[in-house]
Amino acid sequence: MKFRFTRRTFLKSSAVAAASAGLPRLAMAEGSPIKIGFLAPLTGPVAAWGKPGLDGCLIWAERVNAAGGITLSDGAHPVEFVAYDEEYDPAKARTGATKLIREDGVSFIMMLGGDPWPGVQPVADKTGMLFSTLLPSDLSPDTTTLIAPAEVHPIYNVTGVEWLAETRPELKTAVICAQDDALGLPSIATYLAAFEAAGIEMQDEPLLFDPATTDFAPVVTRLISKSPDIVCLDTCYSDYVHPICEQLFQQGYKGQIISCTADFYDQIIAKTSKEFMEGFVFQFPDFDDPALNAEQINFPDPNGFYAEFNKRHPGQWGAVSWEYAAIMDLWKAAAEKAGSAEPDAVAAAMKADGTGKHAFGAANWWGTELFGIDNALVGDWPVVVIEDGKARIKGFKSIPAWYDKHGDLLIKHMEAYGQMWNQRG
Amino acid sequence: MLDLLAQTGLNAVYAASYISLIAVGLVLIFGVMGVINFAHGELFMVGAYTVVALYADRHLPFLVAVAAGLVFVGLLGLVMERALFRPLRDNPLGGLVASIGFLMILQAVAVLGFGVRMVHVPPVTQEVIVFSDRIRLPVARLYVIVAAVVLLSGLWFFLKRTRFGWALRASAQDPEAAALQGISINQTARIAMFIGAALAGVAGALTAPLVSINPHMGHSVIVTAFIVIIVGGVGSLEGAVIASVVYAFVHTFVTTLYDGVIADIVGLSLMLLVLIIKPTGLFGSADRA
Repeated sequence: MKFRFTRRTFLKSSAVAAASAGLPRLAMAEGSPIKIGFLAPLTGPVAAWGKPGLDGCLIWAERVNAAGGITLSDGAHPVEFVAYDEEYDPAKARTGATKLIREDGVSFIMMLGGDPWPGVQPVADKTGMLFSTLLPSDLSPDTTTLIAPAEVHPIYNVTGVEWLAETRPELKTAVICAQDDALGLPSIATYLAAFEAAGIEMQDEPLLFDPATTDFAPVVTRLISKSPDIVCLDTCYSDYVHPICEQLFQQGYKGQIISCTADFYDQIIAKTSKEFMEGFVFQFPDFDDPALNAEQINFPDPNGFYAEFNKRHPGQWGAVSWEYAAIMDLWKAAAEKAGSAEPDAVAAAMKADGTGKHAFGAANWWGTELFGIDNALVGDWPVVVIEDGKARIKGFKSIPAWYDKHGDLLIKHMEAYGQMWNQRG
Repeated sequence: MLDLLAQTGLNAVYAASYISLIAVGLVLIFGVMGVINFAHGELFMVGAYTVVALYADRHLPFLVAVAAGLVFVGLLGLVMERALFRPLRDNPLGGLVASIGFLMILQAVAVLGFGVRMVHVPPVTQEVIVFSDRIRLPVARLYVIVAAVVLLSGLWFFLKRTRFGWALRASAQDPEAAALQGISINQTARIAMFIGAALAGVAGALTAPLVSINPHMGHSVIVTAFIVIIVGGVGSLEGAVIASVVYAFVHTFVTTLYDGVIADIVGLSLMLLVLIIKPTGLFGSADRA
């Protein structure tokens, strides 16, 4: 029988994981625990981008504590996570941030970001607490204590298009569809810039659909009506990527598909076919990929992490499973360098020389032109292709290198969609 | 262009089929009981999860799972009638508020039982009827179209040709007069609730392999159903079917020829236009409006 994640199993697994995370602490690290806040949606429609991240963090904490914890100037400390379910609601996120800081005494708070951030920002301004987000669109010159160290959504999508243009130069035309929301629109601007930079012609204006859409047949009929070489699924949620792919299959599309994510792609293959999904390009690897064992990768033991995650949470691996843990690697290194868990000391150490160790390699703190502040860590990003039913990294491409050549195109399209930091409300 | 229009027409027929199943159930409940059942979208969701539990997880035949969805959600409707709507019969807003509370309970139960993530249902069949390279009808969609025609025809026969159906229509037209003629209001309410809920359940069950299943999937369905019954005329079964077809064709063609966001605007504008020109809806009467 297929594994089902329920609230009960969540509580059980969290309790077991938290308890097991605590045991090595007693044995290996004797200082008072360093508490890290995890303020993300754990229930509700957006939970898929929160809960797997917490699961990954609990594995991370277990490993770090077993290895001796976090070494500050006063000795080694175990680390523990305090989670708060903000349900992707700004008011609840604000309550959660206040509780984590005042009652739990956390030293750092990780968020998914997005809609809840405006609720939290006043708390960040008032307390000086260091926060992280997965969505750099939260960044602005006013968010001095907010960092985006894991992913620079949606800018990394340029790497998939660039790789595709290099490896399949015969592809000349494309269409794109996306949900009409804060995640879809900046991604559209990014893909449009990437296609223009690659000399790929857009056959049509981007096709927007309501996030409440359930039947994607009309969308797909329109998309493939002019026989495009490439269908781009933008940053559609899994709830859209799956039925769109199924419709593309059923309506006889045989061209190239590119997407930001392909979470649970095995289920898409089950609904279409291995042959149909062959060559599907996206941006988030499985961490059992041999390419992640390369020297430049800064995520420790990615294959072991992936195996452990799947052992505890079968079938639940997704785009965010590793990202919060990767942020913690960066935070731990900065705290140990500063010898302190104080937010300002960690932030200063983290950005001291303008560089940082991103999960996928050396990276730079960047973003003034796009976000108004250099608080996004940007470097290489993997291009992932489905081959014989399995996601495989085909290479790492540099986001800054692309931006140096085509940044003007990105800014042009971001401005056209009102997505620059000074255009966002 | 002709291929595009033909394919869009097939897409619209499918959309009209499942929308009409949901809308007719909603109208039937309102017509007989005078209750606006906000939990109707969640009954659709429960039907889909029944297929998840029986077909995807326990590998029972798809049609068995669909039949189970129909019966189970119909029985759930009976529970709603007895526990929620009957005690609040004299309170015009009571049923509405109770149904909102019940939808939250159903969502929470779905989260507890199946988690918050999208659930995968294996395809029933990957066969596609190919009319031409650009005109295709997946057989799984054909199942929904055929089921809608059969079920709605059956409902029409039941309402027009059977004593229970006459009683139901009499209760819908004038509950007090029907009661004076010896028609049990409780019994007609039970029948209406069972049929209305079962139609939503079977729509959810039939479309389960074709849509993304999650605990909140009922929201968009109920919004569409409300637009349809307002356009068709609140309380009118014929209006609900015709409005489903009109709405599905308008929304599908606008989505394909322009985009989905504009299609939503056009759909809502259609509702506003009907409300301005004929506030009771295309087939509604002033009594129930």
